[in-house]
Amino acid sequence: MTTAQFTKVIPTTEFQRVGRIVRLHFANPWTTIGLPWIILGSIFLVNLAIWWIIFASVTSASDRADVSDGLQYSGASFYIFVYMLVVAVQAISITFPFALGYGVTRRDYYLGTTLNFVILSAIYSAGLTVLSIVEELTNGWGMGGRMFTAVYFGDGWAQRLYLFFVGFLFFFFIGSLFASVYVRWKANGLVALFIGLGVLVVAVAALATFTQGWGVVGAFFGRAGLVGSVSWSLVITALAAVAGFLVLRRATPRG
Amino acid sequence: MTAVIEVQHLSKHYRDVRAVDDATFAVEENKIYGLLGRNGAGKTTLMQLLTGQEFATRGSIRVFGESPVENAGVLQNISFIKESQRYPDDFRPRHVFASAPWFFANWDAAFAAQLIEEFRVPLNRRIKKLSRGQVSAIGVIVGLASRAPLTFFDEPYLGLDAVARQLFYDRLLEDYAEHPRTVVLSTHLIDEVSNLLEHVIVIDEGRIIIDEEAETLRGSATSVVGTRAAVDAFVAGREILHRDGVGGLASVTVEGLDARARAAASAAGLELAPVSLQQLIIRRTSTSEKEFEATA
Repeated sequence: MTTAQFTKVIPTTEFQRVGRIVRLHFANPWTTIGLPWIILGSIFLVNLAIWWIIFASVTSASDRADVSDGLQYSGASFYIFVYMLVVAVQAISITFPFALGYGVTRRDYYLGTTLNFVILSAIYSAGLTVLSIVEELTNGWGMGGRMFTAVYFGDGWAQRLYLFFVGFLFFFFIGSLFASVYVRWKANGLVALFIGLGVLVVAVAALATFTQGWGVVGAFFGRAGLVGSVSWSLVITALAAVAGFLVLRRATPRG
Repeated sequence: MTAVIEVQHLSKHYRDVRAVDDATFAVEENKIYGLLGRNGAGKTTLMQLLTGQEFATRGSIRVFGESPVENAGVLQNISFIKESQRYPDDFRPRHVFASAPWFFANWDAAFAAQLIEEFRVPLNRRIKKLSRGQVSAIGVIVGLASRAPLTFFDEPYLGLDAVARQLFYDRLLEDYAEHPRTVVLSTHLIDEVSNLLEHVIVIDEGRIIIDEEAETLRGSATSVVGTRAAVDAFVAGREILHRDGVGGLASVTVEGLDARARAAASAAGLELAPVSLQQLIIRRTSTSEKEFEATA
């Protein structure tokens, strides 16, 4: 063991090290911010056009109410949640080898990336909530259209904000687990993970079926309600986040 | 003499491949090291081990006196530029140069700007659209301008033309003179960098086969050229690294000759020629392969 003094750089604090990973993720916000909003905007425009067609061809007030009633089941904004899974996978698989070349530890990288995903979840849920408020105030963009106030997003802006946020966290951290598995074991790891998850789902379904437990499951979610049921996803989100870290902690970046 | 890197009995095995096999060596502070070896010899794996990117199977690594693995106090002093360095898909060079200073405390923006100009890196083109050489230039610029106390260049110049490579060597040497730091440069273009290197470590099939001052190494072998009979008589009993012959003429590379041996060679009408670092290493590595086969 040497006690020699080396010429070293000024030491950084944990706060700085995590903060610069967040900055790295935002160095070019095109993939994480720009592109998703543009795609969401396009979907919105297509929906607007459809609403307009319906609105122009359905004229009686009661029919229009029926249409609006049906549109509350719109899944048009689901895409953006699933897309965040893709964003998480891209962000990690690309910046991880890059950051490690810059002398970053896996731990600091993962903490910074986690913080980045929480910030992105906040940005997106705030954005969707604002749009949902506008949708309400304009009575469905003047045509009874519903995209951001779909029935799955709850009632009132505060509930929607919460559900959006929890939903985004879920997809970001599932994506983060997939990405960690990919970075560490490449495609083989992902295949194994998907097979494992498939087996797990079938096993749970089998358990529920053989124990006649579907009623219990239904009752559980019924009791929990929309907000309660979605809140339970936080458990999975947290497990995925921790698992992602454990996997990434022993990963080696490869060309 | 301060060892920035101390490696003892280091091994890294992947299933049946011994990428690094029982390596022991030290790297002294503020010198330029050449890590030389053939493709697949274990250079990249060794550098990944030294920078905490890869995990050792056995042995110990001390960088700045500590284990580098997940050690921010050590790693923030290191810049590791890989040949295969990938950049985020949507990045343009300006994003790389904007983010690098956050990670390298000694980053010199003016020096970076000068290098960007000299290497003619287009700042606003997407990295995916750049030529192989331009991508390499980005890595070279980050490696130089970061002025990390310990800088690794792993074959940094894939696709760089001769002019750009010379520019890299010149700037490295100039900047190193002004801002001393430890540089480990892995390459197989040995002759190009031989004047740059102060110390040479050669790795072959995962094992360190040469670990010597470049100066010592350069004088360590000589080619003896002359008629076959005269050459054979002279080299009898000496360590032979390589033998070539055309007709009645022979050229034999032998381990270092002292003044008396040199005098004897001239007396016998033989010519002595220096051996370049590259030739020497080629000969030493092929020797080791034969030895390896013999013992296997």
